[in-house]
This record gives sequence, structure tokens and C-alpha cells, in this order.
Amino acid sequence: MAAKNYANTRYSELDQINTDSIRDLRVDFTFSTGVLRGHEAAPIVVDGTMYIVTPYPNALYALDLTKPGAPTKWKYEPNPASAAQGVACCDVVNRGAAYANGRLFFNTLDMHTVAVDAASGKEVWNVKIGEINKGETMTMAPLVVKGKVLVGNSGGEFGVRGWLTALDAGTGKIAWRAYSTGPDADVLIGPEFKPFYEKDRGKDLGVQTWPPDAWRIGGGTVWGWVSYDPDLNLIYYGTGNPGPWNPEQRPGDNKWSGGIFARDPDTGAAHWHYQTVPHDLYDYDAINELVLVDLPVEGQMRKVLLRPERNGYLYVIDRTTGEVLSADPYGTINTTSGVDLKTGELHYVEAKNTKAGKVVRDICPGAPGTKDWNPSAFSPKTGLLYIPHLNLCMDWQSSEANYIAGTPYVGAEVRMYAGPGGNRGEFSAWDPVARKKAWSVKEDLPLWSGALATAGDLVFYGTMDGWFKALDAKTGDEVWKFKTGSGIIGQPISYRGPDGRQYIAVLSGIGGWAGAIVIGGLDPRDTTGGGGFVNATPDLPDRSAQGGMLYVFALPPRS
Amino acid sequence: MRARRGGVPVCIALLTAGCEGIQSALDPAGRQAQHLAEIWWVMLAVLMAVYVIVLICLAVAALRRRRENLSGMIVPPERQADRRIGLLLGAGVVITAVTMLSLTAYSYHTDRRLSDLSGRTEMTIEVTALQWWWKVRYLDDVPSRSFTTANEIRVPVGVPVRILLKSQDVIHSFWVPNLHGKQDLIPGRDNEIDIVADREGTYRGQCAEFCGIQHAHMAFEVIAEPREAFDAWRDAQIAPASPPADDQQKQGQDLFQQSACVMCHSIRGTDAAASVAPDLTHLASRGTLAAGTLPYNRGNLAAWIVDPQSIKPGNHMPLVSLSPSDLQALLAYLDSLK
Amino acid sequence: MSLHCRRALSILAALFLAAGLFACEREERDSRGPTAPETGPDPGSITLSDLYAGSPTRPAPDLRRDQFEKNAFHLSEGKRLFTWFNCTGCHAQGGGNIGPPLMDEKWIYGSNLENIFASIVQGRPNGMPSFRDKIPEQQVWEIAAYVRSLSGQAPKAAASGRNDQINSKPAEQSTPKASPTDTDPHSPSVEGRQ
Repeated sequence: MAAKNYANTRYSELDQINTDSIRDLRVDFTFSTGVLRGHEAAPIVVDGTMYIVTPYPNALYALDLTKPGAPTKWKYEPNPASAAQGVACCDVVNRGAAYANGRLFFNTLDMHTVAVDAASGKEVWNVKIGEINKGETMTMAPLVVKGKVLVGNSGGEFGVRGWLTALDAGTGKIAWRAYSTGPDADVLIGPEFKPFYEKDRGKDLGVQTWPPDAWRIGGGTVWGWVSYDPDLNLIYYGTGNPGPWNPEQRPGDNKWSGGIFARDPDTGAAHWHYQTVPHDLYDYDAINELVLVDLPVEGQMRKVLLRPERNGYLYVIDRTTGEVLSADPYGTINTTSGVDLKTGELHYVEAKNTKAGKVVRDICPGAPGTKDWNPSAFSPKTGLLYIPHLNLCMDWQSSEANYIAGTPYVGAEVRMYAGPGGNRGEFSAWDPVARKKAWSVKEDLPLWSGALATAGDLVFYGTMDGWFKALDAKTGDEVWKFKTGSGIIGQPISYRGPDGRQYIAVLSGIGGWAGAIVIGGLDPRDTTGGGGFVNATPDLPDRSAQGGMLYVFALPPRS
Repeated sequence: MRARRGGVPVCIALLTAGCEGIQSALDPAGRQAQHLAEIWWVMLAVLMAVYVIVLICLAVAALRRRRENLSGMIVPPERQADRRIGLLLGAGVVITAVTMLSLTAYSYHTDRRLSDLSGRTEMTIEVTALQWWWKVRYLDDVPSRSFTTANEIRVPVGVPVRILLKSQDVIHSFWVPNLHGKQDLIPGRDNEIDIVADREGTYRGQCAEFCGIQHAHMAFEVIAEPREAFDAWRDAQIAPASPPADDQQKQGQDLFQQSACVMCHSIRGTDAAASVAPDLTHLASRGTLAAGTLPYNRGNLAAWIVDPQSIKPGNHMPLVSLSPSDLQALLAYLDSLK
Repeated sequence: MSLHCRRALSILAALFLAAGLFACEREERDSRGPTAPETGPDPGSITLSDLYAGSPTRPAPDLRRDQFEKNAFHLSEGKRLFTWFNCTGCHAQGGGNIGPPLMDEKWIYGSNLENIFASIVQGRPNGMPSFRDKIPEQQVWEIAAYVRSLSGQAPKAAASGRNDQINSKPAEQSTPKASPTDTDPHSPSVEGRQ
């Protein structure tokens, strides 16, 4: 799976490459995917074969790692509809495939989930589970739990109704579908549903907390990460922003968008929900990764999940009950003044409330939040969570969003810029027990790549101008770096090769929302271009060009 | 003699005939309009008196001067006359000052009474002005019981209502003369006005700030009705549109989805959810078309769809060519949206 | 004042009056458009390539170019509709987002009015939706003319002088004229532009 394990720690036990030996780390082989859009995927390695999903047109490559230079074993092309590119909000990315029982599962941009035989590259099943004409796309990496492929839709900027769907891994038939908005029956809320906070209890809150029928086009898409705790038999995932961005068009808490669900993977039944951003005002999707760890909290070991949230707080939540144990800012926040742990309420700052016809300035964090989709890594060895994140603020003006199926449904114009300090990115090591930063490294450009932690006390991440970096996990000192051909927004991985050596792999290919100016050739004279990101990255075209290349690094073989 | 006596009331009736009606500040239907009408009448009476007195003084002065001039004599100044003039002038100043101050105090007092309702409102309605119509959204603590309509505000009789005023384009002004004074709607700024209708009836509101080519056709109706009728109406408005009842209506619905209608209008319960033009979920329940331009009926609806630009030139509803059978189907469907 | 002088003054006044009256008739505001169903630009007026087999046979321009591109009312209507119909969702205020920027000199499917009309109505294969039957033709012309004004192709006297929303970029009136990469010998001469 893309996140290494069910707990989403992105931690590799391999330690051949460590703070000493990394001096000798060099490129072992490279591979061009033939696609020039944003490469956000994590390669996955199973039994001596590496599998890579490219951005649209979503080709799946199998590379034979047992042979020198890792030649292509097979290539599978799903040929998604090209029109799907028009309803993909933030580049035509794909975040990776999942492997289970000799099959690979991945999503195509045009709403198909595909199962491919890992040995032969032959399609086993291919099902269409949504409709691009309603603005739906799929970009997330599936997770396979107990014979079910869990997939969710994207399109929170197109008036999509978000859902998570479980497909039978054998046949591709829909086992259950849990919507993020609407009546309890659609959200799969039943007798098992026991949210920790009073405000989440009540009948049909997914309807009550919206203007009539607005929940049908209300977003809450599931385009991020799914975690699974086999002991509690619960899956965890977040729901995206409510739509449209203009909050005046959707008075109410807009449940169950902008929150975290815990569900039974067999039936889909919801067990608890916690809404991290009720009535979202700033496009703070709640889809980031949920890292499942056991931590001492006030002297007691608790089963918790860590959530570096887009709204700027790092939440520690009891994953059995949904109780928020702590929520501390890990970046600049002026939109909210804190989380009340008794009621679970997020306190908004009135002065930053957005209104139609009025430009509200200096909103921090910006629309992509303190951290967007790009996942962090947790090292049990250091006990730190390594978070690649952003330091952006924005100006915002709401306007009436006009719903026309298949076209954007946003109603806000945004321009972003660097936050306090002038650096646009930051890589932080967070100590969830002490509830503070252990160390952090400022990055000039926004950080849009995932993180990887290894037992060699190293953490890896990439920058948008193409540097692939390794830091000492304990101190944050830079110990190694390598310049790749394009900007890095992918998820680095580490694996043991068939020869027993440890490898590090990452895809280099700029894009995503942050890379919009490069992939779309956007005009920086319009400060609201690229969803407002262009204004924060006008220098990016001079610092990185499009690309699509896999880089695999290893230590020289011992002779 | 008798004829002359009868003539006075007739004249007054004729003069005040313009005061009654659905759009008149002098036919108050609410407490605030009552206060406004009262101050209007008081001001009128006092100022009329002042006017008459001034005219009399003027006439006296003018005539006296002429008489003195005619006699050709220059009257030497006398101490007594001086004192008299001084007293008169002093009295004049005092009376003027007292009148002005009293009127100011009265006006201030009326202003206070106008804002009596604040903090006592039981309902909130958000009114957004657009070129050239009114979007009306009824807010509720339970968001799913809020709903949007257009160019028509219904209120229960005797219930104070807070109206939030917003604009999406230029400055407009909200004015229902029978209920209250004017209040501007300014883009990017939240304004509000509290109103109450104490008498059942339909009152006409009008944009009172020039806002573009169709400013004159930017009206709406306020309908004050008993609580039960209002509640029934609200429940009906919250419900989604009724599905097509026959094949022709079904054809009309399909046409609505497949043509330009769906780009601007919404009909809840269908895929049409656009919001730059009036919500049509319960179009046929409304009294007027095109922001008070035409009374609602099927014939007017047909005329409006066929050529909106000749009825209200420059408005944002475009001319969409339809075949006669398509038009009939569309009319059948829209007319079913009660 | 001499008689001479007075005569000169009265002639001058008459001239001013006449000039003032002319100023009343700035331009036609045709909010209605033709009542009969239109058929869009002549299909013969659209090509998507600058390369011609044999000798170049460039298409003749549609006669409606001047009617829309030089008319401030149509351009401002186009600007309003550009937001209403969510063009801004993909093209921002001309800087581009999901879709390409419209204020620069690069044109994938042609920069002239007929080509832009066709792109809106037909859609384009990499994500541009087709708006056929959804936008009345008069409005498509208006949007197309506004799109051209984004890169400074409209006369200054007619182009919009201010932005309605967040001031994200100079308004169309002060946008420098870009030279479209696709050559079009029929491109109208633009007054007040270098």
C-alpha cells in the first residue's frame, strides 16, 4: 500500500542506509513514466517487482527489480476519458496503487477502479463507480482491508457529493457506500454510531445542518488517506471541504464534511465522527493522513491517531472513542483561536470571517492549509512525527457560486503568499507526547512531497525545485541531498531489493495544486490564477520544469 | 351653499386619494410606518402653519410699506415703535427656535420608536438585491428549514422580523412604504432593518436607489398574513418541487435541464441548482413575475419566456428560442411548480 | 463686445451643442439579439491549423466581429457571464487554473472570435466542456469577445476599465495587447493600441 502499513506510519525498518552510510548513497537506476503531469504517487514494491501508477492517463507499470536496470515487465493502460481532465481541480494526479493477494488495485481519473493481475498485468475487473459529468474524479490511493477495496471520490470544487465505497476485491462489486452528507441511511449511521461529543448526536444531521438539498452538492469528498486498526476493526478516514467554498451559501455545520470517520470495514457502519472544521470557511479539507500510534497521554497509554490537520492544529484523538486529547498549532493560525476539548468546538475568529463582496486579507493558513494531502511519517524509534508542510497565508473574496453540473462550484477568489517569516514551506518534527516541535527546517518553496522515516534514523522528503533531501531524524541536520530533474511532489519509499540491499525510491515530476503554474503554463499577472497558488509561486517556472521520472537510490554494493 | 359644503370633503378626498394603497407611506400597515406617517402629518401641519404665518407677515409688511410709500411721508423713528419691533423680533426668534427644537426632539423621539423592535424580532430574513430582482432567504436555526425564494416576502401579522440586507452588485435600497422607511443594500456590507406588519394585506416594495437600466422594474411584494397561513406557506416552500404530473410536464422538465434555463435557475428536487437567477422551486405560488413587472399567470409567463427583453429591456434573462410545443411543455411544467 | 465676436461665439456654442448631441449616441445596446434561431459562425470561417495543404485558403471572417468586439455593452455582458457560467472556475480571471490562461499570446484552438465561439459551443478534448444549447448564441458571442479582451484584443474605448471582484490583475482596458501565436490576417485593427 502507498502508506507502508495500515497505521500509515511510512516508517521503514531498514537501516542499512543510516546517518553515516548515507554519504555514499547514489542513483541506482531511473525510469521515465512518459507523463509530464504531477507525480504524487508512491511506488510500491512486492516480491521483487515495483509498481508505479502515473498521473492521467493512469498507466500502471511493473518494473522487474531482479534484473539489472529494472526493465519493464508489463504496462497496463486503462485509457481513461480525456474529458475527465476538465473536472480535476488540482492537476490530474494519482496517489498510488494498493496490492493484495496477487492483485493491484488503483483508481483512474474518470471514476473507474481497476484490479490488475500482478503477475501478468491483465485486467481482472474494471468498474465505473461515479460520473465525471457530475464533476467526480478519483485521485486517491485505495486501501484493501479484509477483502474490500476502499476508494473515495474527489471533486469538492465541483459540487460533488462525497463518499467512501468498499468494493469486493474479488469481483469489483460495491459492498457498501458511505456518503459524507445526507440522511443517516446514506451515511451508514446506525445504532453503532456513538460520537464522543454531544454536537454530533442527533438524527439525520447530514441533512439538518444544510440548507434544503444543499447536501446533494455539498462536497465532503474522500480523496485522502484511509487507515485501519485490525485490533479495533475500524477504518479511519477524513472527509473533504463542504461546497461551495463561499460559506454564506451553506449556513449550518455542514455535516459530515470536514471531519474524521471511524467505520467498521465489513459493513461500513459508522462508529464515531469528529468534525475538525464545522462549517468550513477556508477550504480546509479534513482529508490528511491519520497516523495510528499508541502513546502515553497524561501517564496512560492510549490508542490514538495523529492528525496534522489542514486548519493548522495537530490533533491527538482517542481512536476508540473519538475524544480529542489535544490539538496544538504546528503553524501560523489566525482564523481560529483554539479547540475546546470539552465540547470539541473549534473557535473561529470573527474578524477573518469571509463575506461576499468583501476582500478579507491576511488569512492564515491559506486555502491549502498548514499542510495539504502530502503525508507525514512517524518513527517509533524517535517518537516523532515528521510533517512536510506549508507556510502560506491568503486574501479571500467570496462571491455567489453558480452550480452548473460538470463545472467548478467554488464562489471564492483567493490569492496566496508566504506567511510570517517569508518561507513558503517547512519540515517539522513534532513530538506528540511533549506536544511541541522537536526541530524544524524552513524551506523556501511550498512542500508538496510526502515524508519517509527509516530505522537508519533518517527522514526523506523532496522539494518543488527538485532536491531530494535526507535529514538526521534526531536533529534535523541535512545529511544528504540530490537534485532530480523536476520538482518532487511524490511520496518517497524504502524497500529491500531482491539482492537484500536497501533502496530509496521517489518519483520526480512537478504538478499538483502547488505546481499549477508550471504544468498549466499559467499567467502570474492574474494573482488569482491556479486557485490562488500562482501568486505564491511566481518564481516556480524558473526553478523547475515538467518531468516524470522515477529515481531509485542505493548504497554501492559491498565488494 | 350646500354644493360648496360638499365640495370640501370631495377636494380632500381627491387630494388624499393618492395616500391610500399598497405602496404608500401615508397608509401605514405597521407600527413604524404609523410613526413615520404621524411625524409626516405633524410636520406638514406645523410647517403649513409656519408657511401661512410667514406669508401673512410678508403680505402685511409688503402692503404697509406700499401704503407709507404712497403717502410720500417719511415716518420718523419712534422709540415705542422700536421696542415693539424688538419684541416682535425676539418673539419670532423664540417661537422659531422652540418650533425647531420641538420638531427635532419629536423627530429624535420618532427615530427611537422606529428602533423599538430591535432585540424583539422573532424571524430573520436575508434579502439580497441583484440587478434587477430580490433574492429572499428565510433563515432558521435548523439550516434545513431555511429556504430561498424571490421577489416576495411573506411575514406573519404582528411578528417583528429582522431583514438582513445584502447586495451582490451595486447599491440598492429596500423600501416598503406601508411598513417602514428606506434602508440601503451595499455590496460587501451587512445592513439590516426590522419591520412589522400589524395589518393583513399585500404591500409593494420598490428599489429606492437608482441601480441601472431596470431600476424602475425592481419591485417586490410583502404579504402579511395570519400565523397559521404563514406557517403553512413556509412548510410548502421548504418542500422540494413537486415532480411532473404528466408527460407534457415531464417533457418540460427535461427541456429545462437540457436548455439554457439550467445555467441560471434552480428547482429544488431536480439537478437544476444554479443561483444567479431567481429560484423557481415554487414559482407558480408567487404573485408576480420578473420582480413585480407582471402579475403571475400562465399567459404572462409565456410572454416573459418568449421575449423577456421587450418586457424588461436590458435585464439579464436572455431570449431563448423555443418551438411552440416546447414552450407549451415548459409552461405546463413551470406552472405546476406551486 | 463686437458683433463679429458675438457671431463667432454663437457659432462656437452651436458647434458645442451639436458635438454634445453626438456624444449622446455612443453605441447601440442590443440586449435582445436576433429573435430567429441563430446558427453560430459560418462553419467555413473556422480552421484549427495555420498550415494549409496546397496554397493557403484562409477562411473569411464572420461579419459579427466588429458588432461584438468593439461594443462596450457586449464586452461587459461577456465579463459578467464569464463569472456566471463558471469560466472563472477553470480560467481564473484570465490567468488560468484547470484550464489554460486566456490573457497571454498562446492559443491552442485559435484566437479569433469564431474559433473561441466554436471552443465554447463544441468543447475541447482535454477537459473544456461543451456548452451547446446551454448558452444562447448572443451570449456566446459576448463571452468570446470578452475572452479576446483579456489579452488586450479589444479597443480601449470598449474594454472594461475595472474588475468587479478582488482586484487580481489590471482590468482589460489596461492589459497590454498580446500578439496571438496563431496568425490571423483578418484580425481587426485595434484603436488605441500599439
